Amino acid sequence: MKKAVSVMVLVAIAAIGLLCFSGAAMADEIKMVGVITKIEIAGKDANTATATLKDNKTESLIVITVNDDLTLDKFKDHRIVEGDEIRCKYEVIDGKNVSKLFRKTAGC
Amino acid sequence: MKKTSVIAAMFCLAVAATTAMAASEHPGKESIEKSGYKGPETCEECHPGTAKAFLDTVHWKHASKVTNVDGLDPKKEYGMKNRVYVMCNGNDIVNNLKEIPKSPVTGKSKFTGCNTCHPGNHLSDVGSTGPEAEAAIDCLVCHSSDYDFRQRKAFKNEKGQVVMGQDRSTKAALSINKPTVKNCMTCHEAAGGGVIVKRGFSFTKDTDAHAAKGMVCADCHKAKHHKIPTGLDPNNWANDGVLISCADTSCHGTKPHKDADLNRHCAKIACQTCHIPRTGGAFAKDFTVWEQTPDKFYEPTTLKKEANETIPVYAWYNGTVKNTAHFIGPKGSRKDGKSKITPFKIFQGKAYYNKQTGELLSMDFAPPMSDGDTRAGVLSAAKTLGLKNPEKIAKEAVPGWQTIYFGSNHLVTKSKALFCSNCHAPNGVLGFKDLGYSDKEIVKLTSPELYMEKVAKKQKEEW
Ligand code: HEC
Ligand code: HEC
Ligand code: HEC
Ligand code: HEC
Ligand code: HEC
Ligand code: HEC
Ligand code: HEC
Repeated sequence: MKKAVSVMVLVAIAAIGLLCFSGAAMADEIKMVGVITKIEIAGKDANTATATLKDNKTESLIVITVNDDLTLDKFKDHRIVEGDEIRCKYEVIDGKNVSKLFRKTAGC
Repeated sequence: MKKTSVIAAMFCLAVAATTAMAASEHPGKESIEKSGYKGPETCEECHPGTAKAFLDTVHWKHASKVTNVDGLDPKKEYGMKNRVYVMCNGNDIVNNLKEIPKSPVTGKSKFTGCNTCHPGNHLSDVGSTGPEAEAAIDCLVCHSSDYDFRQRKAFKNEKGQVVMGQDRSTKAALSINKPTVKNCMTCHEAAGGGVIVKRGFSFTKDTDAHAAKGMVCADCHKAKHHKIPTGLDPNNWANDGVLISCADTSCHGTKPHKDADLNRHCAKIACQTCHIPRTGGAFAKDFTVWEQTPDKFYEPTTLKKEANETIPVYAWYNGTVKNTAHFIGPKGSRKDGKSKITPFKIFQGKAYYNKQTGELLSMDFAPPMSDGDTRAGVLSAAKTLGLKNPEKIAKEAVPGWQTIYFGSNHLVTKSKALFCSNCHAPNGVLGFKDLGYSDKEIVKLTSPELYMEKVAKKQKEEW
C-alpha cells in the first residue's frame, strides 16, 4: 500500500507539472498528414513517445514527440499503430517536433 | 497557485486511488486466471443471464421503437441499423462491413462498414439472436482496461466470411472494470466518420467539467441490465427506454444555483444552453462529391472544426422531432408550456434524393470509397434495399441538402457558463426575435436594467 501511495503522489506531481508547464510555448504550428512508419514508446508507464511520420506531400520522414496522455494511451493499447495515416499539428520546441494534435484520418 | 496545487494533488490522488481500486477488485479474477477466458460463457458462470439480456439493448440491435419522431411506424424499430440521414448517408444494412472494390490507382482494397461499431463479431451481427449471438458478444471492449486493439479489426476467415476481430485473451479478461471513458470512446469518439466529427465530442479535463472531476461516462449513463440511459437528442433515436437529464434529482435537480435568478431561468431555458455554450465537429458534408485522400481512396467532402470551436443554434424544444427529407430537428414553441430554449449542433449535408418520391436516398460507401463514383454507391444501396428500378433511381437521383440538429449534451463548463449579459446584451447569443419574442419584449430583455447590479457585483468579486 505504501508503495501504491508513493506512486500516486508521483502521478499527482507529474500531473501538476503538466498543468504548470503547458501553454508556455508560443511557436508556430506546423500541419502535416502522413503515415506512421515507426512508434517508439518505453513501456506501459512511459509519459513520452516518438512517432515517425512519412509526410504525404514531401515523402520525408519526420520524427514527432508525443506527450499527451490520450495519444500515448492509444499507442499503448494499439488503437494507433504503424501504418495508420495521421493528421498532425506540431511545434518545434528545443529542436523537437512536439505534437499538438495527433489524429487518425479515417473517415466514414 | 499553492492552494490549487494542493487541491490538484489531492484530486489526482483520489482519482488514482479509485482507478487503482476498481482495477484490482473484480472478484472473478482468480477464477478467470485459473480457467482462462472463453468469451461470455466465462462471465456467465457468475453473472448468469447477462449475455441474453445484452442482446435486447440498443448496443446490440442498433435500433429500438421510437415514439417522439414524426412520420415513423410505432411498431417498427429505428436506429443506425436502418436510418438514413446526411451525417452518414447510409446505415448498417446498405453499408454492411465488407471489402471495398480495389482502388483503380493502387490495386488495394480495405474493409469498411458501419457495423464495425458493434460489439459482435459480424458473423453474429447487429440484432442477431440465439446462443451463437450470445457467445459472440465482446464483453471486454467495454469492460477491460487492458484490451489490445490490434485484435479489433476486420479480416476474412477460411470460409471467406468477413469477421470483426476481438481481443479474447485471458490477459484482457483479468482487467475487468466498470467501463472507462476509453472503453466507451472506442466507438463514440469516431461516430459520424472520424474523431470528433459528429458533435465535437471530446471528454477530457480541458473540454468537459465532469471529465475534469474524474467522472466517467457510466457515472451518468448508469446502466441496469445493459440498458443505458440517454436523452432526447433529435438525431439519436434509438434508446433503451431509460432517460437521463442534468436536472434529475440524483444529479443536480431543478434548482442547482445559489443565485435565485439563475434558478428562475431553468423553467424556460435548458441547463445545456448556459453550460454548453460551444460545440464542434463537422458542420457540412457533401456525399455527392468525394475527395481523394493521400492513400488514393475517397472520402465525402467534409468541413469541420475542433471541439468547442463552433457555436450552437438555439431553438425551443419539447422533446418531439420534426422529420422530413430536408430537415430533422426539434419541435416546440414558446407557448406550448413544455418547451425550453435548447442549444443544438447544426449540420448540413448534401446527398442524393429520389427524383420520383423526393425521399432521401442512402449510399453504399464501398464503390465511391474505391473510385469516387457516388452514383454507383446509390445504385448498390438501392439494390440491397430491393427498390424497384435501381438503375433508373441512381441515374436520375437529384442532389439536395438536408439540415439536421444534434443535441449538445457534453462539453459542459461552469466557468464559461453564460451569464446575464451574454444573453441580455443587444448582441447576446440567443436571437430573441427568432425565438418568438416581440419587439416590445426585446427592448426590455436587452436592457442592462435587468442585470446591471448583478454583473457589477460579480465583476467586483472577480477582481
Ligand atoms: C468467479 C465469478 C466471476 C466471474 C467468472 C466473473 N465475475 Fe464479474 N463479478 C463477480 C462478482 C462476485 C462481482 C461483484 C458483485 C457484482 O457486482 O455482481 C463482479 C462484478 C463485476 C462487474 C462490476 C464491476 C464494478 O466495479 O462495477 C463487472 C463489470 C463484471 N463483474 C464483469 C465481468 C465480466 C465481463 C466477466 C467475464 C470476463 C466476469 N465479470 C466474470 C464475479 C465474477
Ligand atoms: C462497440 C461500439 C460501442 C461501444 C464500445 C459503446 N457504444 Fe454506445 N453506442 C454505439 C452505437 C453504434 C450507438 C448508436 C446505436 C443506434 O442509435 O442505433 C450507441 C448509442 C449509445 C447511446 C444512446 C442509445 C442508448 O443506448 O441509450 C448511449 C447513451 C451510449 N451509446 C453510451 C455508451 C456508453 C456509456 C458506453 C461505454 C459504457 C458505450 N456507449 C460504448 C456504439 C458503442
Ligand atoms: C466509430 C463507430 C461508428 C461507425 C463506424 C458508425 N457509427 Fe453511426 N453511430 C455511432 C454512435 C456511437 C452513435 C450514437 C451516438 C451519437 O450519435 O453520437 C451512432 C449513431 C448513428 C445514427 C443515429 C441512430 C439513431 O438511433 O438515430 C445513424 C443514422 C448512424 N449512426 C449512421 C451511421 C452510418 C450510415 C455509418 C456508416 C457509414 C455509421 N453510422 C458508422 C458510431 C458509429
Ligand atoms: C457497450 C458496452 C458494454 C458491453 C459490450 C458490455 N457491458 Fe457490461 N456494463 C456496461 C455498462 C455501461 C455497465 C454499467 C456500469 C455501471 O452502471 O456501473 C455494465 C455493467 C455490467 C455488470 C455489472 C452488473 C450490471 O449488470 O449492471 C456486469 C456483471 C457486466 N456489465 C457484464 C458484462 C458481460 C458479461 C458482457 C458481455 C456479455 C458485457 N457486460 C458487455 C457496458 C457494457
Ligand atoms: C455528467 C453526466 C454525463 C457524462 C459524464 C456523460 N454523459 Fe452522455 N449524456 C448525459 C446526458 C444528461 C445526456 C442527455 C441529455 C438530454 O438529452 O437532455 C447525455 C447524452 C448522451 C448521448 C446521446 C447523444 C447526445 O449526445 O445527446 C450519448 C451517445 C452519450 N451521452 C454518450 C456519452 C459517453 C460516451 C460519455 C463518456 C465519454 C458520456 N456520455 C458522458 C450526461 C453525461
Ligand atoms: C441562465 C443560465 C443558466 C442556466 C439555465 C443554468 N445554469 Fe447552472 N450556472 C450558471 C452560471 C453562470 C453558473 C456559475 C455560477 C458561479 O460561477 O458561481 C452556474 C453554476 C452551476 C453549478 C455549480 C454551482 C456551484 O455552486 O458551484 C451547477 C452544478 C449548475 N450550474 C447546474 C445547472 C443545472 C443542472 C441547470 C439546469 C437545471 C443549470 N445549471 C442551468 C448558469 C446557468
Ligand atoms: C441563456 C441566456 C440567458 C442568460 C444567461 C440570462 N438570461 Fe435572463 N432571460 C433570458 C430569457 C430567454 C428570458 C425570457 C424568459 C421567458 O420567456 O420567460 C429571460 C428573462 C429574464 C428576466 C425577466 C424579464 C421580464 O421582465 O420578463 C430577468 C429579470 C432576467 N432574465 C434577468 C437575468 C439575470 C439577472 C441574469 C444573470 C443572472 C440572466 N437573466 C441571465 C435569457 C437569459
